[in-house]
Amino acid sequence: MGSKHKIIGKPERRVDAWGKVTGRAKFAEDYSVAHQLWGKVLRSKHPHAKILRIDTTKAETLPGVEAIVTARDIPGSKVFGIVVKNQQILCEDRVRYLGDGIALVAARSREICEEAVALIEIDYEPLPVISDPEEALKPGALPIHGDKNEFVHHKVCKGDVEKGFAEADFIIECTFKTQFVEHSYIEPEAVLAEPAEQGGVVITGSVQNLFSSRRSVAEALNLPLSRVQIIQATLGGSFGGKDEVMTSMCCRAAILATKTGKPVKMVNSREESMLESYKRHPYVLYYKWGAKHDGSITAMEVRCIADGGAYASMSPFVTWRSVVQATGPYCCENVKTDIYAAYTNNNYTGAMRGFGSPQVNFAIESMMDELAAKVGMNPLEIRMKNGFENGAVTATGQKLTHTVSLKEVLTKAAQEIGFEAKWQKYRSLKSGEKKRGVGLACSYRGVSLGAEGTDAAETIVSVQTDGSVIVSSGVTDMGQGAQTQMSQIAAEVLGITMDRIQFLNTNTSRVADSGPTVASRGTIMGGTAAKNAAEKVKTTLLEVGAAMIGCDVGSLDLAENYLINVKTNERLASFSELCAECFRKGKPMMGFGWHHSPPTSWDEEHGQGDAYFTFVYGANATEVEVDTETGKVNVIDFVSVHDVGKAINRGMVIGQMCGGVAMGLGYGLLEEFEIEEGVPKQLNFDEYLIATAMDVPRIRTIIVENEDPAGPFGAKSVGEPTNELAAPAIVNAIFNATGRRLYEIPANLERVLLGHKLTRTGKRGSEVKANHG
Amino acid sequence: MYIRVVSVFIRGKYSMRLFEFYSPRTFDEATALLSQYGADAKIIAGGTDLLIELRKPGAKTPKAIIDISKISELTGIREEGDLVVLNALTTHSDILRSQTLQKHASLLCSAASTIGSPQIRNRGTVGGNIMNAATCADMVPPLIALDAQVTLKSRGGTRTSSLSEFFVKPYVTSARPDEILIDIRFPKPPAAASSSFVKLGRRNAVSISRLSVAAILHVEKNALVKEARIVPGSAFPTWQRVMEAESILVGKKPSRELFAEAGKKVAEVMISITGRRWSTEYKEPVIAVLVRRALEACWDN
Repeated sequence: MGSKHKIIGKPERRVDAWGKVTGRAKFAEDYSVAHQLWGKVLRSKHPHAKILRIDTTKAETLPGVEAIVTARDIPGSKVFGIVVKNQQILCEDRVRYLGDGIALVAARSREICEEAVALIEIDYEPLPVISDPEEALKPGALPIHGDKNEFVHHKVCKGDVEKGFAEADFIIECTFKTQFVEHSYIEPEAVLAEPAEQGGVVITGSVQNLFSSRRSVAEALNLPLSRVQIIQATLGGSFGGKDEVMTSMCCRAAILATKTGKPVKMVNSREESMLESYKRHPYVLYYKWGAKHDGSITAMEVRCIADGGAYASMSPFVTWRSVVQATGPYCCENVKTDIYAAYTNNNYTGAMRGFGSPQVNFAIESMMDELAAKVGMNPLEIRMKNGFENGAVTATGQKLTHTVSLKEVLTKAAQEIGFEAKWQKYRSLKSGEKKRGVGLACSYRGVSLGAEGTDAAETIVSVQTDGSVIVSSGVTDMGQGAQTQMSQIAAEVLGITMDRIQFLNTNTSRVADSGPTVASRGTIMGGTAAKNAAEKVKTTLLEVGAAMIGCDVGSLDLAENYLINVKTNERLASFSELCAECFRKGKPMMGFGWHHSPPTSWDEEHGQGDAYFTFVYGANATEVEVDTETGKVNVIDFVSVHDVGKAINRGMVIGQMCGGVAMGLGYGLLEEFEIEEGVPKQLNFDEYLIATAMDVPRIRTIIVENEDPAGPFGAKSVGEPTNELAAPAIVNAIFNATGRRLYEIPANLERVLLGHKLTRTGKRGSEVKANHG
Repeated sequence: MYIRVVSVFIRGKYSMRLFEFYSPRTFDEATALLSQYGADAKIIAGGTDLLIELRKPGAKTPKAIIDISKISELTGIREEGDLVVLNALTTHSDILRSQTLQKHASLLCSAASTIGSPQIRNRGTVGGNIMNAATCADMVPPLIALDAQVTLKSRGGTRTSSLSEFFVKPYVTSARPDEILIDIRFPKPPAAASSSFVKLGRRNAVSISRLSVAAILHVEKNALVKEARIVPGSAFPTWQRVMEAESILVGKKPSRELFAEAGKKVAEVMISITGRRWSTEYKEPVIAVLVRRALEACWDN
């Protein structure tokens, strides 16, 4: 298949590489304009409190202060939210977590802003702080919003679990816990909001989901969407993290800009960013499986509680992906899954690379190894026994009609690392200071948004009269490479080289609302739209070419920057000449490509339906060395295998795979954003530990390509699947090494050595306080 | 006399701070500035600790920052007869590459190699590591094991202090505000002695010591321990040799069991000093292991 494409599948250089490596790329903080003011937020002093009084008089008199804004000054909607509109742009009468903003200052310098913020007086009446989601769900708990803290309950129901458990030879029950983690994008939040010439506002910022941010700004300012323009600055990372926190910042900066009539710039420090921004949900996961001695699973019952934090944010969608995927790519006739999300006074939780899968995968893949141990099979055998094959029916009753490559990726990962022999050898080794272990994990993952909501995107291909091409899309690039993928697709269709293509950053006023760039949908949605757009232009160009040459359209094609005769490969005209001719003939040279996803369905009541239009499959295998005397785990080998449908750009696919593993390794071993009684303990990278280059081994990547008709040139997804398997693979490897299973992550020094977490009490000489998990 | 005076802002989390910045070229200039500003001055060398400290909310801003990094007399490693002398501005990178130290005190090279990242090792100095006096300072346990002395200079003259008596409590030393640390010197251990440094961090780089141990072991020709020195890091409020554990070893034949016994003793001493804390459940067994490993590493050499 590879040979038929000129650009697709090749490791083409990223279209944004040159700007980034030379320092010419402009990130949001790099934008400054004349008369610009600085904006700053006054944040809450309490995780949960009533606001009794806000007094801004002293701050207003400070020289250099141009505006002070509280919730009362917001002309339109004071709250926003994609699913539940309850996130406060500024709090008026109640704060619900420490990151909540109460007032805004616009001043002539950052220093004056800081001084002014310190002069604003707030009187609070502290309320009880709820930091544990299970406490929040108890009857009688103080509701943080409305009349109860439960705001999501998703279900999946298939067969009869009671019957399944009755048929089982034995039952395995385990409770797992996962932690808050920070996205750790290198660039903290930043925007520049400018009053527009004809009214409204123009915002340039580090925004991931421009269209949802735009909607909220328009509602806050009572403006039509046409008067709010959001331009994406080059993003310094996002990983799902620059959605609501950026919407909030866009609204705040736009309010200040409108009030002062001047441009306002806002930039968060790292501490502000970690304090305010949302995190990946911590889950408590109760798993109960019934199984037979032959390893088959008769029933799976799952109950999960997600800590939603102070606001609903993306929790309803994140937990929905969890409920669909909570029993993994394994056959079972009887499934009952319930997933709840609860409000607490912690940081709110939302989208993060993986989006509800890393948590359930940790539980599923740990359970699978427990099952293997119970029936005396090895972890590969148990997965091969229960794993999905072509035509399998999922827990939601969806029949899989694409190539189900679960067993292919599993086998490849296991073979590459020499899994079975090592697993057998390591488990039988006697005690020692350093013990090795191998671990395996696999998953299936629904591509794009699925039945979460409308799933469509636009890409525009605009051919210039000299044969150069401008591509733009409603799908944003946050570093994952969407621009390069879409450029490659346009270049492939138009038969031109990549150097002819210029990709523009997304601008909400120049392309159609394409939904959020989430759910690993960049390539499959934006890329298909790019293909459609380029094909439209190509049709026009070939018609013009046929008239110019005097032949059939069918005998012509575009290749290597030329119009060619398909039979003889004779070059008939250069692409540039063809474009010039097209312009002379007055033909349209701009293609608008739209892609709407294939249908999905969902019955919320029974939790059944065709949740996603297609799925991807991945497997990770790892080898670790555990220091049994200190609890230190070193990951010494890693294999990552993913079926991506078709690699549009092999280099970038490998990049995603390695980045996903590094991030997943941090999730499994190191990262933990600790919140105690609503107060975060780590606000910078001195204490919040992510993996360094010295912690990540050489990663062996294997790309599997089972082309899928649902995607452009057969391509599906790669961004998130790469990040959802490393943690369970590592924990399973630790189990192989030590014979002890960890039910909580991260597997840090204390958990590995002692089996439970230690919590810093700050009290000297006091008895140790252990959280037994 | 050449002194640059510049007014500099540091942008902190909550406010801008103004201070005088001096860059003296000689000891005399530096000590003159220190006697003028006293406790209102802060000395900067590599800046890997001070710059982070200054941008913390609520941090006290010094009136003056005196950059001693241009004083050329403050760099370099040399031998003076039976002594090895490290000038205060010697960077961790200088230390880990030093042939002299490899030969006479390889535990210093090991310790330096575990600090931060290459960037931090290129900037951070041994003098700064001592003067910052964090309980996790990685250069201090090896230097105390080596029985190091520090030399302090002020306008009034020069004095020396034993490093083990130099620290008052975490982040506090007995140096006067007008004093500048100019060098660290220690006697060369006997050629037959060997040394080691083991460090446990949460990750493999840019990692603060969770626990560490510096050890020196001198085993005589008759295969009995003549002398042993054990200095744990991140275990006590200030560093000290654990004589109770060292004495277990002296006069005995080295063995894994003996080393383990010394390790247990160190854990006991640690708890007697710090009491049982939230972290003791972890640190008690692990410090014992690290002591044993440090001694084993000496013995393997």
